[in-house]
Amino acid sequence: MHKVWAVIRREFVERVRTRWFWVSAILGPVLFAGIIVFQIAQSLGGGVRHIAVVDTGRVGYGRRIIEALGPSKSIRADAATFAPGVFDSLAGLVEAKQLNGFLIVDDSLPTEGKAEYRASNLSMQTIEELQRTLNRVIEKARLEGKGVNPEVVDWSQALRVTLDQKKCQRGACTSESAGQSFVVAYLISLLLFMAILLYGVNVMSSVLEEKRDRIVEVLVSSLRPFQLMLGKVAGAGAVSFFQFLIWGVSGRIVISLRGPIARALGADPSQIQDITLPHIPFDTLVVFMACFLGGFLLYSAMFAAVGAMSSNEQEARQAQQPVTYLLMISYLSFIGLTNDPSSTFAKTLSIVPFTSPIATPVRWAGGSMGVGELVVSLAMLAVAIVGVTWVAARIYRVGILMTGKRPNLKELMRWVRA
Amino acid sequence: MPEPVIVDRVTKRFAGHTAVDALSLSVPSGVIYGLLGPNGAGKTTTIRMIMDIYEPDDGSIRLFNDVAGGRTHSARIGYLPEERGLYPKMRVLDVLIFLAEIKGVTRRAARAAALQWLERLGLGDWGMRKVSDLSKGMQQKVQFISAVLHDPELVVLDEPFSALDPVNRQVLLDTVIEYRRQGKTVLFSTHIMEHAEQLCDRLCIIARGKKLIDGSLADVKRTHGGKHVVIAFDGKQGAAQQIFGDRRLVSKVEDFGQQAELELAPGADAQEILQALVSSGARLSHFELASPSLHKIFVDLVGPEAAIAAANPGTGNDRGHARA
Repeated sequence: MHKVWAVIRREFVERVRTRWFWVSAILGPVLFAGIIVFQIAQSLGGGVRHIAVVDTGRVGYGRRIIEALGPSKSIRADAATFAPGVFDSLAGLVEAKQLNGFLIVDDSLPTEGKAEYRASNLSMQTIEELQRTLNRVIEKARLEGKGVNPEVVDWSQALRVTLDQKKCQRGACTSESAGQSFVVAYLISLLLFMAILLYGVNVMSSVLEEKRDRIVEVLVSSLRPFQLMLGKVAGAGAVSFFQFLIWGVSGRIVISLRGPIARALGADPSQIQDITLPHIPFDTLVVFMACFLGGFLLYSAMFAAVGAMSSNEQEARQAQQPVTYLLMISYLSFIGLTNDPSSTFAKTLSIVPFTSPIATPVRWAGGSMGVGELVVSLAMLAVAIVGVTWVAARIYRVGILMTGKRPNLKELMRWVRA
Repeated sequence: MPEPVIVDRVTKRFAGHTAVDALSLSVPSGVIYGLLGPNGAGKTTTIRMIMDIYEPDDGSIRLFNDVAGGRTHSARIGYLPEERGLYPKMRVLDVLIFLAEIKGVTRRAARAAALQWLERLGLGDWGMRKVSDLSKGMQQKVQFISAVLHDPELVVLDEPFSALDPVNRQVLLDTVIEYRRQGKTVLFSTHIMEHAEQLCDRLCIIARGKKLIDGSLADVKRTHGGKHVVIAFDGKQGAAQQIFGDRRLVSKVEDFGQQAELELAPGADAQEILQALVSSGARLSHFELASPSLHKIFVDLVGPEAAIAAANPGTGNDRGHARA
C-alpha cells in the first residue's frame, strides 16, 4: 500500500505542479465571474434597445404603442414620420448601429393582427416585449371599438399573472424554472463529459510517458503492474477532485461577492439578488460526484489500457477514439434525455454502465429517476468498473513492456487471456 | 549465506525464437558476476526474468533461496535496466525519492540517501534541477543512484558502462568495486570484454540463449589457456603480417592494428617471434607472455560474427522487446 501511495502522490504532485493545472484552475472561476458580470451588466440597462415606430396609417396606433412602451426599462421607442424612403433611411441607421430596429404598423393592426419589426439583432427579450405590448394595444383598440370604457380596459390590463414555477421531485418541491432545470442538466452533462475525458486522457498520457521514456521497466521491477495502474488512476482522480474543489470554492466566493461587484459596476445591489443561480440540491451533488467517480474509474482504466497498447501519441490518439465515442454517446443524447427523461431510451442510457455516468445524474437532476433505479444504475456501474479494470489491467500488464507495432484485436484477446 | 541468484534451466520463448534456452547459472554471495555475450545473446531477457519483469516459460529462478520473484524482494535488489529511463520533467531529487519509495524506503530516509549519493557522484548541485536539464552521462549516474539508493544486497546492472565517458565510467567502476568490498553482490551484463576482465570474479558467457562456459575468471582462463603473446607496436610494424601468418609460430591472431594477441603454435617459442619482429624492423612498446584475454576466449567461443558485434559496442539494443 505504501508503494501505491507513492505512485498516487507522484502523480498528484507532478500534475498539480504543471502550468496547465493552474491555468484551468484559474480559468474556471474567471469564466464564472464573467457570467455574473455579464448578467449584472444586462440588468443595468446596458441592454436598452432604441427603436423607431413607423405608422403608415392615420388612426395613430404608432403613438399608442409608443405610449404603451413608455414605462419599459429595456425598450426606448420614438416615432418616425412615414414618408417615401423612410424605411431605407431607418435601415441605414440600423446599419450604423444608431438604432436597434424599427417597427412598422398600419391601421389594419387591430383587424389583421399583423405588424413588422426589422432589426439587425432579433433578441428574444425585445421580441417578447414588443409582442406583449402590441397585444395589449390591439386588445384595447378592439374593446374600445365595441364600446368598452377605456378606463375599464386599463384597469383590466393592469394585472398580469405571475406563474410561480415549482419543481416537485421525490416528494419535495423547489422553485426552479424550466430554464434553470435545463441549464443544470446541461451543466451536469457537459462537466461530466469534459472531466471524464480530460482526466481519462491524462491517465493515458501518463502511461504513455512512462512507456516512451522507458521508466516502466524500473517501476515494474518493484511494483505489480496493477498497483502501478491503480496508483495512476487514483492520482489523476485526486487531481480532478482538487480541481473541482478549487472551482467550487472560488465559485462560491464569486457568488458571495456579487453585491460588491454590482456596486463596482454602479448597479443597485438589491436588484442583483434576483440573479439566482440554479439551485442544486445536495442529493444531486452526491449523485453527480458518485457518477463522476464511477465514470472516471471506468473510463480511465480503458484509457490506461489504450496508453499501454500504444507506443506514441499518434497511435494513442487513434486507439482512444472508440473509447471517446463511447463516452460521447451519452453526451450527445442529452437533448433526448432532457426532453423525455422517462422514456425507455433515457432509462436504457442510465442503466448501461458506459452511458450511465452522464445519463444518471441528468435524469436524477430532472427528478424523473427513482431511488430504486439509481441503485440499479450505480450497481451496474460498479460491476462494470470491476470487470473493465480487470481486462484493462491485463492489457496494461503486457502492453507497458511492448514496443513496436500496435496489437490487433486478436493479440489483445490473447493478452487478456494470458 | 545462500546464493543470491540461482537460475535453473530457464527458457524464454518469444514469437518466432527462443531468447533464452535452458540456461542455468548461480551467483554466489559477495562477488562481481559478469553475464557476457554478444548482442542478442539473451542477457537482457535473462536479467528481466531475474527481475520478475518477464516470467520464464520453463525452469525456475530462486532469489535469496526463495522462489518468490524479484518484485517480492525488490527492497533487497537494485536494478539498472538496459533501457535507461527517468521522468524528464521531474526534479532529480524527487525522481530518486520516488524510485526509492516504491522499493519501500521512507521519504525521509530516501531523501537523505539521495543527497549523499548525489554529492558522492559529483551531482550535488543538480538535485533541484529537472532531469531533462542533465546530460546523458549525468542521467546515467542518476539512474545508477536509483539502483543503489536503498542499499540493496544484490545489484543487477544491465550494460552499466555503455555510453559513458571514461571519467564517469571510472566513477561507476569504483563504486561497483566499493560495493563488493562491503560484501554485496553485483550481477552485471556486458558485451565489452575489457570491462568484464577488469571487474569480474565470476562470469558466464552465453550466446544464442545458451550457456557456453561459466566459472571464476581464473578458471575460465586456465581451461581456455594456450600460450599467448600480447604485442603492442610503437609505429613501424616491419614484417609483422608475414610473421603472424607463419603457422609454425602462430596458430591464431587477433590483430587490432597497433596491438595484437597471438596464440602460439604448439612447440613454438615466443622469443623466436620477438627476434623475428625486431629484425624485420618493427618497433615494439610491449611484448608480454600472457594468459589469453577474455576477449580472445570470447571470440573463440562465440564465433567470428559475434566478434564483429562485440567490437562495435555502440550497435547494441537490437533485442529485448517482448514479442509476446
